[in-house]
Amino acid sequence: MEEEINIKEMGDDEILELMQEDLYDGLADEIVEEVEELLAREMTPYDVLTRGLVAGMEIVGDDFRDGILFVPEVLMAAKAMKAGMGVLRPLLVETGAPKIGTVVIGTVKGDIHDIGKNLVSMMLEGAGFDVFDLGINTDADAYLAAIEEHNPDILGMSALLTTTMPYMRTVIDALKDKGIRNDIVVLVGGAPLNDAFAEDIEADAYCRDASVAVETAKKFMAIRKGEGS
Amino acid sequence: MSESQSNQKHTLILMPSGRRGKIPAGTTLLDAADSLGVEIESICGGRQTCMKCLVKIEVGEFDKHGIRSAEEHVTPTTEEERRLLEESGHGDLRLACVAHVQGDLLVSVPEESRGQKQMIRKSATDRVIEVKPTVRQVYIEVERAELGKHRGDWGRVQDALREQWELADLSIDIQVLRKLQSKLREGKWTLTVTLWDDRRVIDVQPGYTEGAYGLAVDVGSTTIACYLCDLRTGELLATEAMMNPQVSYGEDLMSRISYAANRPDGLEKMHDAVIDSINKLTSQATRAAGIARSSIYEIVLVGNTTMTHILLGISPEEIGHSPFALANRSAMDFNARDLGLRLNPAANAHILPAQAGHVGADNVGVLLAEEPYLEQKIILTIDVGTNAEIVLSSPEWMYSASSPTGPAFEGGQITSGMRAAPGAIERVRINPQTKEPRFRVIGEQRWSDEWKLDPDADPDQQPHHLAAGICGSGIIEVVSELFLAGLLTPDGRFNTDDETDRLQWESKGKKGAYILATAEQSSSGKPILITQEDVRNIQLAKGALYAGAKLLMMRSGVEQVDQITLAGAFGSYIDPKHAMVLGLIPDCDLEHVHAVGNAAGDGARIALLNREKRALAQDISTRVRYIETAVDQDFQEEFVMAMHIPHQRDLFPHLEPILSRMPDIEPPRRERRHRRATS
Repeated sequence: MEEEINIKEMGDDEILELMQEDLYDGLADEIVEEVEELLAREMTPYDVLTRGLVAGMEIVGDDFRDGILFVPEVLMAAKAMKAGMGVLRPLLVETGAPKIGTVVIGTVKGDIHDIGKNLVSMMLEGAGFDVFDLGINTDADAYLAAIEEHNPDILGMSALLTTTMPYMRTVIDALKDKGIRNDIVVLVGGAPLNDAFAEDIEADAYCRDASVAVETAKKFMAIRKGEGS
Repeated sequence: MSESQSNQKHTLILMPSGRRGKIPAGTTLLDAADSLGVEIESICGGRQTCMKCLVKIEVGEFDKHGIRSAEEHVTPTTEEERRLLEESGHGDLRLACVAHVQGDLLVSVPEESRGQKQMIRKSATDRVIEVKPTVRQVYIEVERAELGKHRGDWGRVQDALREQWELADLSIDIQVLRKLQSKLREGKWTLTVTLWDDRRVIDVQPGYTEGAYGLAVDVGSTTIACYLCDLRTGELLATEAMMNPQVSYGEDLMSRISYAANRPDGLEKMHDAVIDSINKLTSQATRAAGIARSSIYEIVLVGNTTMTHILLGISPEEIGHSPFALANRSAMDFNARDLGLRLNPAANAHILPAQAGHVGADNVGVLLAEEPYLEQKIILTIDVGTNAEIVLSSPEWMYSASSPTGPAFEGGQITSGMRAAPGAIERVRINPQTKEPRFRVIGEQRWSDEWKLDPDADPDQQPHHLAAGICGSGIIEVVSELFLAGLLTPDGRFNTDDETDRLQWESKGKKGAYILATAEQSSSGKPILITQEDVRNIQLAKGALYAGAKLLMMRSGVEQVDQITLAGAFGSYIDPKHAMVLGLIPDCDLEHVHAVGNAAGDGARIALLNREKRALAQDISTRVRYIETAVDQDFQEEFVMAMHIPHQRDLFPHLEPILSRMPDIEPPRRERRHRRATS
């Protein structure tokens, strides 16, 4: 079904809707084009972010959760999102738009697997979070240093191995020792984990997949903002 | 069925099948197992006479299953039962027909008690092996002891060995020294001496005798296979296999490492379990071959690194996390008795070398058996299991990698997945026009479209086994057949444009599932579905394997492989065409994709029979260049690309005749938009 579309002739809402479809299909160039068009029409960068990109990524996240979309498609969508963010980010800083939240994330010490964690990072960015990814084999000191530097709302930890997941407890204990455990939301994820494990190590939540991670992160941000006001 | 004493229910988990369920208090274990679909053999029907329904109550906390199992969670042993058990030498077991459930339980059903014997199709293939064992027997005539000659009997035997066989610098095992004098006199100063590696005397027998045997054992995480060989002729006398009982402590390697690391007696339990199994297999093999245990002088063991650590009683903790440090990568020789193995008391145990943290002696065994580096070809050797070991070789170089494929190919994480056992769907065909499937289950020759399910039909026409689930080879076939029939799009989604009744939809009609077996064809009375999640799990598993292979091709600068060798029990049942359509393996001439069975076990057998191959194994283990896929910068990209069916970018020229016959699927929106954008 080939259709000629000229976005110049479309209304703002139509373009926002088109952005959702293009994100779903992972079309980076089209997204950049649409972001630029909306900015040219003097829509605020914050509105373009929340009503266009974040709204579109929500649909991607839902379909990923339901198994309708899969990792390659989600990565394409996240890349398209990133392209759009490339245009928006400097403008968001400039206009002092409210931040959605900041996340420090990493795969724990002893573990070198990061594909799932990378997906979570990209999806969180897709939801508008500022994400600082510490990579793999991250020890407690590295997490603490990053928390000091970036003052995040959320700490994310990932492990693929049954043998490395206990290290999450070490990190949480280090947060407690430093007296900052209650200043930060701790989310954990990875194939061998479950809710009981997260509860046992006193994390705030276990996130089954990248889309649940985003939902959970948003939920905790809403609670934090509620507290702050 | 026995009546339940109360309304209370308890969790029962049966090993090794892993079946679990809630059982009313007061049910016998025999009935409880039956209700969970696990058949325990019973001939006398619970009258305590046939002694067939022996089971073991596992004791301890089983975190993996979230239960504590204890002996008092079944009714106490009755006097009659105790007498029977002790008479038959099974004091540690219970009779399932006598023991009633009264608490949470983890129960192991031993191989011999299973009504449906587990199918373990591991038999040694016939390879030509030059027989040059490390163990040999020589006959000597020894100078008699005389007053005034203070040489000592061992000194006289050493003299005889030097003069008659040119054997010098020998040592003698303490167990042999203890009986040397009596044997010497019994044989009237003639002896048959058994030597290991021409340097240690490991047995003496009076006069002339012959008979030296050896065992080759492949300790897999799921199956332990044992080959008994004549060390003189090289002849394979018996093959025995059983499930690895460590499965109760964790399905996959990492959970076993955790069990060893986190439990004070975890390592000991798993060590004892595997040693006990090898001793049992030894008994079975020696009985089958009609030889004595004491004439087994050597055992060669292979296994993945976790298995060899546990086997040696070394904690596998360090290989549980990066940098995955092995206790020892080289080949090892120990006294078999020090490991708890019951062979000849002075028998030697040889463990083949490993390559890297997670590429073990079993993979060295595969290379020893296949010798792919001798061929003037680029050969990809894949040992498929929960961890796939991949080796790419040419005469000049060898690269290896380990890919975490997960349990999907063994039926894990698949809605109706099961191990290869009677009733498992192992072959699938889907008609591209009608979208109707037909399948074949293990234990049943006929395809499902020839089944007569009407109870009045001729019993010969009725299937012996209905479909109970789907095993690895069936899973590979069903996904690639779904793709070939146009029911799955290349990105792994069920095709919403297809209107066949075989597809069910949920989540606003976007998420599909395919009905592979109808309720009538299934043993549970419920249809067997292939769900969207199942397809996703297969995409992950096959993507990981393909990406591992691809990475080795990239690192060695190879664009096309000449041959693909599928090793491992599972590899023998994979249909090469379906594996390639799925994108499990890279493009290759289908004629040059071979299954070789349990090559790791064959490698152990080769090392048992030929001492020179042990030096070669050591050489191989250091020559192979191991690539750590997880930290390779290109792995993620390759993994993601390989999730498509067959692949998002790579081409399969050898599948062209098959792929070109596929029905047209509407291209996904992305491509439509691209055309719009470029037009």
